[in-house]
Amino acid sequence: MLAHALIFYLFSFVAIISSLAVISSKNTVHAVFFLILDFVSISCLFIMMGAEYLGMLTLIVYVGAVAVLFLFVVMMLNVNFKELRAGFLNYLPFGSLIGLVLLIEIGMMIGTWKYRDSFIKTSEIQINNNLTNTESIGNVLYTDYIHYFQISGLILLVAMIGAILLTFRQKENLKRQNITKQVSRERDDGVSLEDVESFKGVKLND
Amino acid sequence: MIELQNIFPEIFLTLSLLFLLVAGVFLKNSFSLIKKITIILLLICIPLVYVNYDNQILIFNNNYSINNFSNLLKIIILISSAFSLIFTGQYLKRLKIEKFEYMILILCSTLGMFVMVSTNNLIGLYLGIELQSLSLYVLSSIDRNSLKSSESGVKYFVLGALSSGLFLYGCSLIYGFTGSTNYFIINENFTVENIGLIFGLVFVIVGLAFKVSAVPFHMWTPDVYEGSPTAVTAFFALAPKVAGMGAFIQILFVAFGGAFAEWKTIIIFISVASMILGSVAAIGQTNIKRLMAYSSIGHMGYGLAGLATGSLSGISATLSYIFIYVVMNIAAFTSILFFSRDKKYCEDIRDLGGLSKNHPVVAVCFCIILFSLAGIPPLAGFFAKFYIFKSVIESEMYILAVIGLLSSVISAFYYLRIIKIMYFDTEQEKFDDISGLGMKFSLFSSSFLILFYFINPSFLVNITEIASKVFN
Repeated sequence: MLAHALIFYLFSFVAIISSLAVISSKNTVHAVFFLILDFVSISCLFIMMGAEYLGMLTLIVYVGAVAVLFLFVVMMLNVNFKELRAGFLNYLPFGSLIGLVLLIEIGMMIGTWKYRDSFIKTSEIQINNNLTNTESIGNVLYTDYIHYFQISGLILLVAMIGAILLTFRQKENLKRQNITKQVSRERDDGVSLEDVESFKGVKLND
Repeated sequence: MIELQNIFPEIFLTLSLLFLLVAGVFLKNSFSLIKKITIILLLICIPLVYVNYDNQILIFNNNYSINNFSNLLKIIILISSAFSLIFTGQYLKRLKIEKFEYMILILCSTLGMFVMVSTNNLIGLYLGIELQSLSLYVLSSIDRNSLKSSESGVKYFVLGALSSGLFLYGCSLIYGFTGSTNYFIINENFTVENIGLIFGLVFVIVGLAFKVSAVPFHMWTPDVYEGSPTAVTAFFALAPKVAGMGAFIQILFVAFGGAFAEWKTIIIFISVASMILGSVAAIGQTNIKRLMAYSSIGHMGYGLAGLATGSLSGISATLSYIFIYVVMNIAAFTSILFFSRDKKYCEDIRDLGGLSKNHPVVAVCFCIILFSLAGIPPLAGFFAKFYIFKSVIESEMYILAVIGLLSSVISAFYYLRIIKIMYFDTEQEKFDDISGLGMKFSLFSSSFLILFYFINPSFLVNITEIASKVFN
């Protein structure tokens, strides 16, 4: 139990510190790296709570796709962050107002925690403890909802076709590597023996 | 395993689009081959739907329904998708956008529409809408070298994402208050007193109204119609409207059947606003694609007027209206694709001057189509409007009927103006010669249907009445 608590506090500490670092670090690339660290520690917390599917999904979707996309955007678009920071004092009143509203909302949420039983009746939900989350999701996803699963696959296929169709341009005069052509090349194709007479050049046909 | 045979058309479409995708990647310059195969596959799919036409089955835990209603809409969707490829002719080649992905995206979109009209679940509806519209976003910006096409794609994408957001917000409210996303359970747990549910209902209607481009969520329509390549515009005007209406009918009558009094006023407002705007705003338009956009907004208004009655005869009138609307739009867009000078397509209606001298047959066909769109007897368009007004008057909603009739009179003005330009304005340069078997077939068959619909109108009425009995 002590080990569990220790690991929990470790991951929570890392998560909080790295999320603070995301908004405070001057270098935007560092900020994105801290964001990735934050996601990783949150996914570890999910796994500790027994929600292993959610944890893995966080890793794959947020770290694997979203954060890497952010990284690309930050590195490829040359955004001038000094300019963005310039109006800090102008935005301070409005920003702190929004922060205050968020703080009050969090306070209200914690305040109503003791009434949670009247909102969520977990006792009514039947859970089979022998199955993992992934298994129970798979049990409905591949049986009752198989047609939705298939249609979703087709939607992704259309997205792929569309992206290729709208962006791919076949360039002409482009030299491409053709491995079969390279491998099947014989000596006679490349080398020719010419008798060169003295004091006369040789004309090669390409 | 018994379930799979019922969704055979969907499986068939999925497999064929995956197969064609791989084939298109490996075969070079396979545009026209894949186009032909796609048309054939779409036409083969019609008998596949028809085989199970009279089945009434709920599969995937009551989340997917196969019945007369969804099958009828699927057949209409297949016809419109197939024709939107048949009548493109040389258009895509001339614009240098002969990419095989065009057909793959149309197949994907068709599949999404199948899901939209068949599903009995909000999740399924959302996925269907996304599959359908994601393909449409890409299609509308497929002409990458044209600024207007790219602009229309971005515009459609941003507004479509916004409407999906509104739709999902409504779904989350409904799920929160009824505890399910299934239409039947939503209907059981729906309590009219709950304000949250009414909010959710309104947001869901807003999301769907955007998809059928009903006023006040129509802003994107003229710009997207004008900017997209004409062949894509034609597809926009056909199948997605059918699927949107189908999803509208399903969700209003299955999920919110108990809240008729609540959604009735909303639908009446949307319908009246669409009819009025569709007829008034089109008067000032000179671009024929923008004009067709306003015309389709108006037509969606008439379709929704049938729903506003909340009766079975209203649903069947709406279904007949959708079918005739599809036929008329197939014919109209085929004619628009005929109008080219020096391989450049005319989009300004003033350029049509002297068409009757150049191409008398096309001019006569286009004249019939425009008369039908205006609702002049004895053409098909008249019958479509007649069914709607009949059911509206039966439900004693006289004001709605009067407004519909008045806006139909106003809209006749701009249709007749095109006929005047075609027949009486001075002749300009010569139009290109007409070629393309597919275009001729599409124009003549649809004009024939419009012209001779009055011989046996009970055929369509019977089919739609049977389909509307599903909601009894």
